[in-house]
Amino acid sequence: MLKIWGRLNSLNVKKVVWCAAELGLPFERIDAGGPFGGLDTPEFLARNPNGTIPLIDDDGFTLWESNAIVRYLAAKYGHGSLYPDDLQQRADADRWMDWQATVFNPALVPAIYNLLRVPPEQRSQDAIDTARVKVDRLASLLEQHLTGRTWLTGKCFTMADIVLGCSVHLWLNLPLERTSRPELERWYAALRARPASTEALQLPLS
Amino acid sequence: MLKILGKSSSINVRKVLWLCEELGLPYEQEQYGSGFQATDTPEFMALNPNAMVPVLIDDDFVLWESNTICRYLAGREQRFDLLPGAPRGRALVEKWMDWQATELNNSWRYAFMALVRRSPAHADPEAIEAGVAGWNRHMAMVEAQLSRTGAYIAGASFTLADIVIGLSTHRWYMTPMPRPALPAVAAYYERLSERPGYRLHGRNGTP
Ligand SMILES: N[C@@H](CCC(=O)N[C@@H](CS)C(=O)NCC(=O)O)C(=O)O
Ligand SMILES: N[C@@H](CCC(=O)N[C@@H](CS)C(=O)NCC(=O)O)C(=O)O
Repeated sequence: MLKIWGRLNSLNVKKVVWCAAELGLPFERIDAGGPFGGLDTPEFLARNPNGTIPLIDDDGFTLWESNAIVRYLAAKYGHGSLYPDDLQQRADADRWMDWQATVFNPALVPAIYNLLRVPPEQRSQDAIDTARVKVDRLASLLEQHLTGRTWLTGKCFTMADIVLGCSVHLWLNLPLERTSRPELERWYAALRARPASTEALQLPLS
Repeated sequence: MLKILGKSSSINVRKVLWLCEELGLPYEQEQYGSGFQATDTPEFMALNPNAMVPVLIDDDFVLWESNTICRYLAGREQRFDLLPGAPRGRALVEKWMDWQATELNNSWRYAFMALVRRSPAHADPEAIEAGVAGWNRHMAMVEAQLSRTGAYIAGASFTLADIVIGLSTHRWYMTPMPRPALPAVAAYYERLSERPGYRLHGRNGTP
């Protein structure tokens, strides 16, 4: 059975848990990271030298890097659905995943860290404000992009919706001021309505 | 013909230029990005709303995000040696591509902006020192992986992952800072330098 290491409140772990559920794959999740620790043991580091979660073992095949894991599971178990067959459609999904990892997430992480991970007296209001302004601008880009599209790449739900959906879940539920984005909220509501997203998109945030 | 928008000095543009060399694909290039044509115009942002380079135009298909452009071109040319078709083989390449884009790139940004670009916004000596240490720590992971494979980052043969890690390796060597001796990385740097595309767009004197 597929094994997933990682605490469920990690954004990158959420991607993998949701993807596995979306594909109907049974899996065992082992809490690790944050208060659970366990990332600096020789056994864990032998599997993932980064000492980070998520990490998976699929029938003896070990893999780390959340987006690589999502692509792998989608390609292996969801070819033609989560993982588009057509090269250009797949590239379209891949691009939004890379964008989540290199643009959206780096902008968002300081807000997550300061609002959810450190005690209030250690919060950096500056970092929160900078993140809020940056992500609000990226949300406006998404708002435009989603206008006229059901899902990120058009009519079909793909792996890209899972990956960016996890980031947007955090963004829309952090205690922050946000510009109203009806298209983004419509898309997010549709993501929440998918039974497979329930475990990953739990509220309240932690 | 393929069109690539982006300046030749940008590390993300260089990925695409080097790959086109490997694929033997002809292309037209237009220099966009800071110091060249502006990317924050309505015309450019209609192609990429992020106002960033590179952008690939393949007939009526417009693509941005450098790693995705590389995946797409390798798939388009059916170069499964560069990016395998089977999920496991492909994942072993993609994990290093994702790792370069997220972990490795984040580790060097501050030190590189300070020591090479001399950016006034990146002048905190403590942050520079931490940046150098973080960068060296990540390159030590590359060392460990290359010692295992004995050749390339994802295994015995050259793949897309070597394009992204190879460019980062060049930056590491070109940045004036203390570096630990990493023999497998040094051998890798020489191995990659046998490739014309790397000499042209990677190890070409530009950090
Ligand atoms: N680029 C990596 C990032 C992995 C990462 O930074 N994971 C964090 C959690 S989101 C982690 O392991 N933190 C240490 C911890 O949880 O103790 C990925 O996408 O998988
Ligand atoms: N994740 C993007 C990042 C692209 C990026 O940051 N591009 C930089 C150059 S390396 C850029 O366009 N900067 C703005 C400019 O040069 O005007 C990718 O890999 O394509």
